[in-house]
Amino acid sequence: MISIAVSSQKGGVGKTTVSINLAHSFALAGVRTLLVDADPQGSVGLSLTRQSRLLAGFYDYLVDPGIPLERLIVPTRLETFSLVASGQASDYEAGGAGMGAHLARVRGFLRSVASHGFDLCLIDTAAGLFGITGDVIASSDAILIPQQAEPLGIRSVPKLLEGLNRLRVMNPRLSVLGVCLTMVQNDLAESTEAASALRQLLPPEMVFRTQIPRDGLFVRASARGLPIGVLEDGVGAQAVFDALRSEIEAKLDPTSARG
Amino acid sequence: MMDPIYPWLDPVEVRRLAEGLMRPNRETAAPLSDAGFDDAFVGFATDAAPPPPAAAPPAPAAIVPPDLVPAPVIAESSIEPEDPAPDVVARGPFLDRITRFRDWMRAQFGATGVFILDREGAVIFDESKHGRLHFLARSLALASRRQRNSTGNVHVKITAGSTLEVIPVDTAYGCLVLGAVVPEALNQASVAAVMDALSKIASPPEGNG
Repeated sequence: MISIAVSSQKGGVGKTTVSINLAHSFALAGVRTLLVDADPQGSVGLSLTRQSRLLAGFYDYLVDPGIPLERLIVPTRLETFSLVASGQASDYEAGGAGMGAHLARVRGFLRSVASHGFDLCLIDTAAGLFGITGDVIASSDAILIPQQAEPLGIRSVPKLLEGLNRLRVMNPRLSVLGVCLTMVQNDLAESTEAASALRQLLPPEMVFRTQIPRDGLFVRASARGLPIGVLEDGVGAQAVFDALRSEIEAKLDPTSARG
Repeated sequence: MMDPIYPWLDPVEVRRLAEGLMRPNRETAAPLSDAGFDDAFVGFATDAAPPPPAAAPPAPAAIVPPDLVPAPVIAESSIEPEDPAPDVVARGPFLDRITRFRDWMRAQFGATGVFILDREGAVIFDESKHGRLHFLARSLALASRRQRNSTGNVHVKITAGSTLEVIPVDTAYGCLVLGAVVPEALNQASVAAVMDALSKIASPPEGNG
């Protein structure tokens, strides 16, 4: 199994949108995918269903690792796509944000996910690279970093890189899949200039070719509690996430990705 | 075009950090799993500082530097000074001094394992039987130094009842990294005492520069 943390230094960059739609793309491609909401704000749950907000989830497991994973897994209509909500326990109840305090439990959670036959565990984390998010990254095989295409977001890149370097000390096997530009507005000079600046700043292999545009469809999909590809007019937007998936698959060892 | 962004960051430094991240970590090739964490690892200590446990071996109220720990008694010695000068007691073959330092760590802090690495990660002394912790200790020491902590020490809870205390110490021979497996994280006064002791022990004899 491959575990991928979807994380960023800054909040509001589209992590949840990327997580839901990328997980959906993998599941459509036949990859047995578990999407885990590790954001105490429960954005995946909020985005998908009203009921999922009431489910036991990831943070409940951190408080009580005796909870069997089957009780946390929420199936969807797509057989290859399942969810784990963030749960009723909050980050605070899980013991605050002490870095490393939950490392063993997060790793236990991922071992349990692997033993349930999933090929991919995609984890939507809270913003920042510390606390439980740090533990998730320090336990994952890879990290994907959504980055909003605007100047303020790009300015946070040095802090992001420093944080990732620290986390790599804890998890030397962590593979940095790269930065994915989000909320790109081709009709706004500041947005395209920020995207261009990031591409010049970072090594080419660190920035995905695929960019996620700012699109009203995402708001509509979120309002209806659906991945964008399920909308009648969401085929084009789904193609963007399929392209991102293809880039990720090329970066991962395909044998282990499917094994 | 770059005005809104480039004044805020150092492109050369950003590039260096980014390229480092994209390289496979060479340490992963080593036959270590999880950089020294094993199934017994329960997480990092979240804060510094509880004092050594009451159950630790009897210790004086103040921490006695290892200089003052009596050297092993030599049978032929007919004179045992009541108040040996510390720098005389501390001298002797380097290994003897390190061994006395280890004994002091055991007595004062209940250390069950002590190892010392140089800045390249080479083992200078290790009787800890925790070889797999070397990489972790060196990595943590390097990371903490980059953050310019006041003392630079870091501790990691490695099992329910033991903590790896990592203390980088500048000595006359360069930076040494001390790793000690102790029941609880050391407080700052203890860390300072350990740093002072190791620094003295790893100093060349007077007259040798």
